[in-house]
Amino acid sequence: MSQSEMSRARRHLETTKKMKEMLPRFFMRMMERKFSNEPVAWCMVGIPPELLKAFDLLFEWPENFGTMCASRQVAPHFIEVAENDGYSPELCSYVTNTMGYCKLYRERGEAPEESPLPGGMGNPAMLLGSGFVCEPRWKWFQSIATRFFDIPIYCTDPLAPPWDIDPHDPRIEEHYLTLLREDLAGQIEFLEKQTGKKLDLDHLREIMERSHEALAYWRDTLALRKAIPSPMGSTDYFHAIIPQMYLVGDKDAVEFYREMYEEVKDRVERNIGVVEDEKYRLIWFGLPPWFNMGIFNYLESLGAVVAYESTYNVGDHFEVDLSDPLEAIVRRTWQRALKMHEYGSETMPELCNPAVFGGFSGSSLLEELVNEYSLTGALMHLTRSCRAVSFGEVHTRNRLANMNVPSLIFESDMADPRFWSDAQIKTRLHAFLETMDKARQGREIDEL
Amino acid sequence: MSSNQFQFNQYSFTTAENENLVRCLKEKTKKPVIGYLCCFAPPEIIAAAGAIPYRITGRPGRDTSAADAYVEPYGCTYVRSILARAAEGELDFLDGLVISHSCDMVQRLYGIWTYYHPLDFSYLFNVPHQLTPWARDFFTRELGFFREKVEHFTGQQISFRQLQETISLYNKNRSLIREIYKLRKHDRPPVEASEVFEILMAGGVLPPEEYTGFLKSALQDLKQREAAKEKAPRIMIWGSIMDSPVLYKIIEEAGGKVVCDDTCIGFRTWEKDVPSTDDPYDGLTEHYFINFQCPRTDRGPGVERFNYLLERAREYKIDGVVGYIISFCDPHKFDYPDLRDYLKEAGLPMVLIDDNYSFEPAEAIKTRLEAFIEML
Repeated sequence: MSQSEMSRARRHLETTKKMKEMLPRFFMRMMERKFSNEPVAWCMVGIPPELLKAFDLLFEWPENFGTMCASRQVAPHFIEVAENDGYSPELCSYVTNTMGYCKLYRERGEAPEESPLPGGMGNPAMLLGSGFVCEPRWKWFQSIATRFFDIPIYCTDPLAPPWDIDPHDPRIEEHYLTLLREDLAGQIEFLEKQTGKKLDLDHLREIMERSHEALAYWRDTLALRKAIPSPMGSTDYFHAIIPQMYLVGDKDAVEFYREMYEEVKDRVERNIGVVEDEKYRLIWFGLPPWFNMGIFNYLESLGAVVAYESTYNVGDHFEVDLSDPLEAIVRRTWQRALKMHEYGSETMPELCNPAVFGGFSGSSLLEELVNEYSLTGALMHLTRSCRAVSFGEVHTRNRLANMNVPSLIFESDMADPRFWSDAQIKTRLHAFLETMDKARQGREIDEL
Repeated sequence: MSSNQFQFNQYSFTTAENENLVRCLKEKTKKPVIGYLCCFAPPEIIAAAGAIPYRITGRPGRDTSAADAYVEPYGCTYVRSILARAAEGELDFLDGLVISHSCDMVQRLYGIWTYYHPLDFSYLFNVPHQLTPWARDFFTRELGFFREKVEHFTGQQISFRQLQETISLYNKNRSLIREIYKLRKHDRPPVEASEVFEILMAGGVLPPEEYTGFLKSALQDLKQREAAKEKAPRIMIWGSIMDSPVLYKIIEEAGGKVVCDDTCIGFRTWEKDVPSTDDPYDGLTEHYFINFQCPRTDRGPGVERFNYLLERAREYKIDGVVGYIISFCDPHKFDYPDLRDYLKEAGLPMVLIDDNYSFEPAEAIKTRLEAFIEML
């Protein structure tokens, strides 16, 4: 692998830059608790983060650890350790990154010093997995608990109706809601047993109120990106997920998303764009190449801004009655399923969970986005080791083509830079932007 | 090929032959054909509703570029093969389609297939991954919704009694297949794995009553055979779907004898009966959800989840295990390191064939297998 010249990303918003001050404070607090031997749960997106907070549980996100290892260029090392252990290079690179970390942890009896943060992810006392998004996610934790750490595990398994089933049929609704409710009850039973604490519903409600308040600011921030020029790009977007993952339900998180909203609103009012001379407005599909987030700045240097992304949404905001916070968790998951159904979810019906994801490939939501965000093209990152999220990109390209929106599908990975080819990808991006120019010229001639 | 190879009446049960046969059956019976993928939606329900259940298979090694118009190049090559076949109209004899939410790729195949090539009837049979009590209840309810949809399509209601009778027919076939497998426990089994494979493939197309007759005559024929002349290292195959006998034949040519398997067209489908229960849907849940051994279902952490394989290996006096995994088959790829180490500890060597659903380059695969078999 050759070091890419584009690996470092530049953010545009003061708010996201301030994360550099806010997060170390949080991680220091976490580290102090870890060093006093408080148990740490390794968790997966799809577990309601508010629940973890309500149990005052120390938690880590191995997926997020994968993004950190990738951005600090240490993921290839961990991935190779896992591959030497028999894990296929085709498996999710977030997974193989973690497996390499676990193997080294077991061999050395402590967190590998190569980890991006001192102490890495520590070692887990329990695993909270999820089948939401893809099956490698729960297989991953099954393998960790089999091979490296003999610890308790619970995997949540939310399902949603396929695209051709009527979710408004009361029997179908009950069929799925029953599963969601009982699964949530299972999670709580597990957490109560492992922590020795009883869930305090009032505390959970307060956390959810703040969490939803933060998500409402996030929703409004995303809407501001419709402005021309777009006031916020992907380098800020993809990093904005962190506070909601680690500080969910905290006043600090609400404040972060409020400030971000105010800053972006101010930029819109003052007509400040990410790109001075905005020529292309793009939608990004797939996971980003965390080892090379500078790709977005590179695009910006060519006059292209990404105004919308299909993944790593901080979370969708749904109006739900919080008086019964457990039912609210179930209802917001169901609302997400209904929303996806309304738009069409032929490729990924199981993306029903509103927590920290986007996922709408191929759906008719595309038409809304193209019009509202004035999109001129789509970039689709086909991640070799994450088929779950890449799946549907060809279908999405087909649907965008019907709207005369050109797409570029290019191949690489989210955490494994061995699949990145700098010169080739640059050449393809250049050619794609020229395609958009020609498409635009064609449209102008047609209009004449 | 062994000299005393069993002749399956006038048929050979490869994918192409099966498709000719199902076209004839459709013409003869005027019944609709409902294709199914994976082993979670019971063909018993399809048959009891008066339709012909047909197990859809791919075409290993053949071009899948017709799938490129709908799906990405990185993805299960088996699924790509099926989609290419649908796109090229090779599966136009299907009136309906039921796809289980088994693995990610198969589930997503459903959406793409039905979006671009809608059929008169289609159903995604949703299946949880966890074996919790609530997941079990969900599966049982899902069986009910599936039954209603099939009934609506064929216009034929399924009574408990009818369903129980159909389950009995299928169970009869399961017990006959187990009898055939028993012959393979012999030190010098009289039957080749590639032959057993064709017998099993016939189960994906023949109506259950006809399959019973077929299995009985096959069993009778095989029982009369002489034992193989020489002993050979005894192999078990574990892994992804195999809907072609190619690998079995390569192993036979490499000097091994495949005497049992853990694959989904193979023993996973036939090893147990659907339990007899007052409510037949309870028995179907037990069989298709709880008992069906696919690594896409979460049987908890720990290597205990592989105990059944070791028991089978002992029962069939296995010398070595050949793992076969199709590219991008995540559920099997995740289990491989744990299974390899578990078997090694039990003294059973394992070799992995990582294949893009083409069995190519065949010579290279054969060379690896020869080296492995020689070591045994």
